[in-house]
Amino acid sequence: MTTTETISVGFQNRAGTRSLINFLRNWALPILVVLLFVLSIFLVPKFAELTTIRAIFLQASLIGIAAVGMTALTLSGNMFSLGVTPTVILGAMVYIWVGEGTTSMWLGAAAAIIVVVILGIIQGFIVSLGLNAVIVTLAVGSVIYGVTAIVTKGALVEPSEKVDLAGFATFDIFGIPLPIVVFIVFTALAWFLTEHTLIGRNVHLLGANKETARNSGISPRATTVWAFIAMSLGFGIAAVIASAQIHSVQADQLPNLTLDTVAAVLVGGTAVTGGDGSPIKSAIGALFIATIAQIMVLTSVPDGLKQLILGIVVVALVVILHVLRKAGSR
Amino acid sequence: MRAIGTWFKGYLLQFIVLVIVLASMYAFYPRFHVESSIERIMPLGVVAAGLAVTMIAGEFDLSIASMAAFSGALTIVLSPIGLVPALIISIIVGTALGALQGWAIAKLGINSLVFTIGTLILFRGLTWVVTNGVSVRVSDVTATDVFRDKIGFLTPLSLTGILIFIALGIFLAYTRWGREIYALGGARNEAIAAGVRYKRGMIVAFAISGGLGAVAGGMTSALGGSASPTAFGSLLLGALAVVLVGGISLAGGRGTMVNVFLGFAIIAILSAGLSAMGAKAFVAELFTGVLLLVVLVFDYLIGAIAENDRKKKLRKIATSEA
Repeated sequence: MTTTETISVGFQNRAGTRSLINFLRNWALPILVVLLFVLSIFLVPKFAELTTIRAIFLQASLIGIAAVGMTALTLSGNMFSLGVTPTVILGAMVYIWVGEGTTSMWLGAAAAIIVVVILGIIQGFIVSLGLNAVIVTLAVGSVIYGVTAIVTKGALVEPSEKVDLAGFATFDIFGIPLPIVVFIVFTALAWFLTEHTLIGRNVHLLGANKETARNSGISPRATTVWAFIAMSLGFGIAAVIASAQIHSVQADQLPNLTLDTVAAVLVGGTAVTGGDGSPIKSAIGALFIATIAQIMVLTSVPDGLKQLILGIVVVALVVILHVLRKAGSR
Repeated sequence: MRAIGTWFKGYLLQFIVLVIVLASMYAFYPRFHVESSIERIMPLGVVAAGLAVTMIAGEFDLSIASMAAFSGALTIVLSPIGLVPALIISIIVGTALGALQGWAIAKLGINSLVFTIGTLILFRGLTWVVTNGVSVRVSDVTATDVFRDKIGFLTPLSLTGILIFIALGIFLAYTRWGREIYALGGARNEAIAAGVRYKRGMIVAFAISGGLGAVAGGMTSALGGSASPTAFGSLLLGALAVVLVGGISLAGGRGTMVNVFLGFAIIAILSAGLSAMGAKAFVAELFTGVLLLVVLVFDYLIGAIAENDRKKKLRKIATSEA
């Protein structure tokens, strides 16, 4: 009699702890971001100004769009890409070349996205043979870097005065800069696609359990390629925005983009083993990283320390999320 | 004699490639020297050896290049106490950090790719802090001379590299701890069930890779007398190419130091050829990337053919029994 009671009480307690753990897993980061914002408004000088908030969101939009795209790859169980920077730089160059040639920024953007997506499809096919995505993207990334450096001879790629290619960065919608709008829309779209479409669910299932996915008739190859297409769409859009923002690009620019993007996905809480996560989490992860970076700029933390703090934050959050996930699934 | 034959057969592909590469280099450049080309990029070989150990253990240490940069910086910053003691301290620090990393990975049961990409950023940050964000040099320029005196016909760097390959090869092949690393990489659950200590294996593997990253970075900086916070940017890619060209399996549990050395020799000679042609750094990176992809796909094809053969044999047995 007493034993049954203790057992049932134990079960209730465990269920309670588990729901608390799950709550933390889903809401810890959003709460942390809000806390960070509130604290910074009081403690960090100049934080509560519109230009600061704008800078944070602009910074977050570049990392965020890339990270939201990469979430598809992570969900499919292929971990992450180590070739973000070269891919985005190539896309940015294509944007300038085509935009300049056709004097249309729309055609330039389309060309950039198409080139990046084609590269993604090729990598998707290679990875779907059963190869490690991290290594394939690292290798392809270095090939892309080598090619862009050779073609441009390491020099700046700059649009001439007569063509306006900065439109994607300077345009406002009700006072909100276009990159931020694109970031929000892209995140919403990515969320809808992963949660409410067949391909999105297939990506989830493939990441959660490859064998089960195959046995239930999902093609691992097609699904992996789709994940790469989604990721490349993000990289392509990020490339257009980066190019419009920084005006001129060089082969070895944006050196931190790859790691920032991976960090955003990991900090956001998408499981690297696949199957569990959401593009929205990665978007918040990007916002978190951009906020921390901006706070460090405002408090004039030296460059070196910034990297170290970012590293500590990433390791700490990854470990905490891992422990919570383990505890939640027990 | 037969044993030598089977040993040779295991590395046949790498030997063939090595001979072709070597022959074509001598054909193009009559004044080519193998020793000098290997000497120049010895740090790459040392890092590749470290990376190989974690790969044999079925894990992956993405942080190894950052560790090299950190140790290089630490060696130079500590150099007022003497370059050699500074180097030794950096290597000890690197090994300790590596061991700590291995312990954390084992304790948490976390995917090592995830953990080490975090420490990749973290160690790079430490490098920036230690160097204050600028290139640092030794104050006494004669201090680096110790590392330039040849011992026999080898420089200290080459000698260290070769000794590391031999020692690590013996450790992995003949000691209990070394065999445990193979067991953990080849069939982890079975190994643990059979009594292999998982945590110890991880600590040893990551301590070796951290330590070797530190040796490579520290010795490079000690030799050049300077360190930069952005150094070794493409070291991870190069080391990965060495390990995979050498024929170490990504799945873990397979490959030896002979594999790593052969892969290293091939890459070293090729890169010497590239620089003899006057190619820039990004050409080398392009080349390494292409090579890596070719090896990956080639490896896949061999695996697929072997699998096909196996199935064919099984089918034959099944039909003959029926």
